[in-house]
Amino acid sequence: MQIYLDHSATTPPHPDVVMRMQQIAQNDWGNASSLHQWGDRAALVLETARMQVAQLLNAPDPETIIFTSGGTEADNWALLGITRQYTTPQHLIISAVEHPAIAATADWLATQGWAVTQLPVNGQGQVSPESLEAALCPETVLVSVIYGQSEVGTIQPIQTLTQITQRHGALFHTDAVQGVGHVPIDVQALGVDLLSISAHKFYAPQGVGALYVRPGLELQPLLWGGGQERGWRSGTQAIGLVGGFGVAAELALANLDAEQLRLSQLRDRFFRLLADEPRLQPTGSQQSRLPHHVSFCLPQAPEEVTGRTLVRQLKLASIASSAGSACHGGQANPSPVLQAMGYSKAIARTGIRFSLGRQTIAADIDWTVLVLRQILNRLGVK
Amino acid sequence: MMPYWTDAFGNPASLGHFYGWEAQAAVQQARETIAAAINAQPDEIVFTSGATEANNLAIKGVAEAYLQRGRHLITVMTEHRAVLEPCAYLETLGFKVTYLPVQADGRLELTQLSTAIRADTILVSVMAANNEIGVLQPLAEIGYICRSHQVLFHTDAAQALGKIPLDVEALSVDLMSLTAHKLYGPKGIGALYVRRRQPRVQLAPQLHGGGQEQGRRAGTLYTPQVVGFSVAVQLSLERLESETVQLQQLRDRLWQQLQTLSGVVLNGHPHHRLAGNLNITIADVDGAALLLVLQPTVALSSGSACSQHQPSHVLLALGHSAEQAKASLRFGLGRSNTITQVDHVAQVLIEAVRSLRQNSVYS
Ligand SMILES: Cc1ncc(COP(=O)(O)O)c(C=O)c1O
Ligand SMILES: Cc1ncc(COP(=O)(O)O)c(C=O)c1O
Repeated sequence: MQIYLDHSATTPPHPDVVMRMQQIAQNDWGNASSLHQWGDRAALVLETARMQVAQLLNAPDPETIIFTSGGTEADNWALLGITRQYTTPQHLIISAVEHPAIAATADWLATQGWAVTQLPVNGQGQVSPESLEAALCPETVLVSVIYGQSEVGTIQPIQTLTQITQRHGALFHTDAVQGVGHVPIDVQALGVDLLSISAHKFYAPQGVGALYVRPGLELQPLLWGGGQERGWRSGTQAIGLVGGFGVAAELALANLDAEQLRLSQLRDRFFRLLADEPRLQPTGSQQSRLPHHVSFCLPQAPEEVTGRTLVRQLKLASIASSAGSACHGGQANPSPVLQAMGYSKAIARTGIRFSLGRQTIAADIDWTVLVLRQILNRLGVK
Repeated sequence: MMPYWTDAFGNPASLGHFYGWEAQAAVQQARETIAAAINAQPDEIVFTSGATEANNLAIKGVAEAYLQRGRHLITVMTEHRAVLEPCAYLETLGFKVTYLPVQADGRLELTQLSTAIRADTILVSVMAANNEIGVLQPLAEIGYICRSHQVLFHTDAAQALGKIPLDVEALSVDLMSLTAHKLYGPKGIGALYVRRRQPRVQLAPQLHGGGQEQGRRAGTLYTPQVVGFSVAVQLSLERLESETVQLQQLRDRLWQQLQTLSGVVLNGHPHHRLAGNLNITIADVDGAALLLVLQPTVALSSGSACSQHQPSHVLLALGHSAEQAKASLRFGLGRSNTITQVDHVAQVLIEAVRSLRQNSVYS
């Protein structure tokens, strides 16, 4: 038996998504910009998907959805598309627990002379509205705060942060890659100016995503060329992936409430079963948390036992988990996210994440908990 | 692509578990195949979302990395907009760009290039094969000139991969943009070749994040797209010679028949061109009306897919008027076209032109 508990890294495409991609590969392979029938059919595929994604986010207009090559491009574009409109460097605010797609882009902007403030987080990984209020200044043009944190699952008070930001005349972006498709996200209710999505976090393929751009917002393109996506984003659209993205968005919307409830119950079961286990300490917020996200650290592990040790041991037991997020999984460095939450360097090496999905059942959780305890025993963790 | 849609869905960057391993092995194999196709090393291939991103990465990435050395770039008026637009963007940042003209046959004149290179030139970008008129540029000669001036040479080979042999060593190419969907692969996947040795090209990443592609391009790639790309490359290389002959015969047959019309000229070079490309200007007909009449029979275009509404900048660069440029047709023949189809299209086109001419203001 193989148990896949790494849905925050990526999800297996839904069979309906695969079927749609196969249909498109065989029948709708045209170039959406061409004027002939093959082009028309491809354009129809694109516009259908745009509508499906818009509905998932309750976007005011399908045209606010611009397809990208994924969450990373959407994040880069949000930050660079706003900041590059300024000829002299201004001020940017992000949180201390951003994904590298935001954090590294902000680092690059800092090398170009931008002032970058990282908002601190509390022990649960949450940003406080007061600290944002204090950080905003007349030069602030953009605030970017992650919606649901990928390593520790904490959901930020985005609506409040957006209101504060906009009251100060700045723009607000959120990286909602881990949230979209798992919790209801309504861009109009949130009031955000920009929001990043990645399809492969909710049963669609990798390599496609979108940026929601609030109507009327000015944004400089990141990719220049043939002027696809109404001039916003050049490059022939990945039509097969986009079509799959649309189907996944529709499925996510149809199942959102039921699946959110089911997964949060499984998540709580996971935490509950390990509540008596002092060797594993939950990380992130328990109240404001992604429904499919479970994470721990090892407060008293010997130095040689890190999160990666556990992941490797679990792999031998055919259970897929993750230490930190996949993109920086290559390094055994202490997690910047856990450090920002106040954990020591040593503990920040011990983070482990289990992220559940549509095929996860209670037995998977129970079995994983059992295996996890055995591994801790075998490793001599006290 | 299909096995990877379902069985090996892992994130290639997730090495902690079995799903990630399998995806990574497939991506590595694809990298080797694509590298071998252009005589490069696997670690010189950076996967991207297509040739547009590859061109943006090459041009903006080199400009940013070599800022201290100079701020001058050279390209050609007939380039794809995915080269021209990043150059125009760099101009807004204070870079200088020389847009070289082409000769009437669409080819670059080499002495023009040599004289355009300055002490502060950091990059020359010339496409391998033109997307509208199919013209092949003299890459080896251009590469030689760039090398002897110690200027980096980028080529947009989106239209050339799998259609003509490409060898980055023989051509002295330092950066090469590729895309899968022009050779029967999926849309939304491509690559940039970035030379690592003699010289080692510096490239400032244009997508920041998780450090994928050895830090040169962040973002999660889709394994089936990458695998589909490499299979398409492999199939095209296997068939390159036979398919070139086949397409050339079809194209020449089409061209021969169309020449029975008066006032038809071939755009581009008679033989330095892609085998499947035919681009013609037809005098005394309205191009839009002609496309409309042809539509039920044949899918073709009047220019590149992305700029259908303006007169082609490529044809203007050949010296055509806007009017002539609009009355031009691009035929892009492919693997599945047949003699019967070609003859049928020729017949329909000839009749359409004759009837439009009879009813038009021109006569
Ligand atoms: C919060 C967050 N932002 C951005 C990304 C990057 O998205 P993508 O993999 O589509 O580039 C990820 C996924 O790794 C993520 O978890
Ligand atoms: C010469 C050339 N360069 C670049 C591109 C853009 O490639 P892509 O569609 O993969 O972004 C194209 C095709 O559209 C092309 O023909």
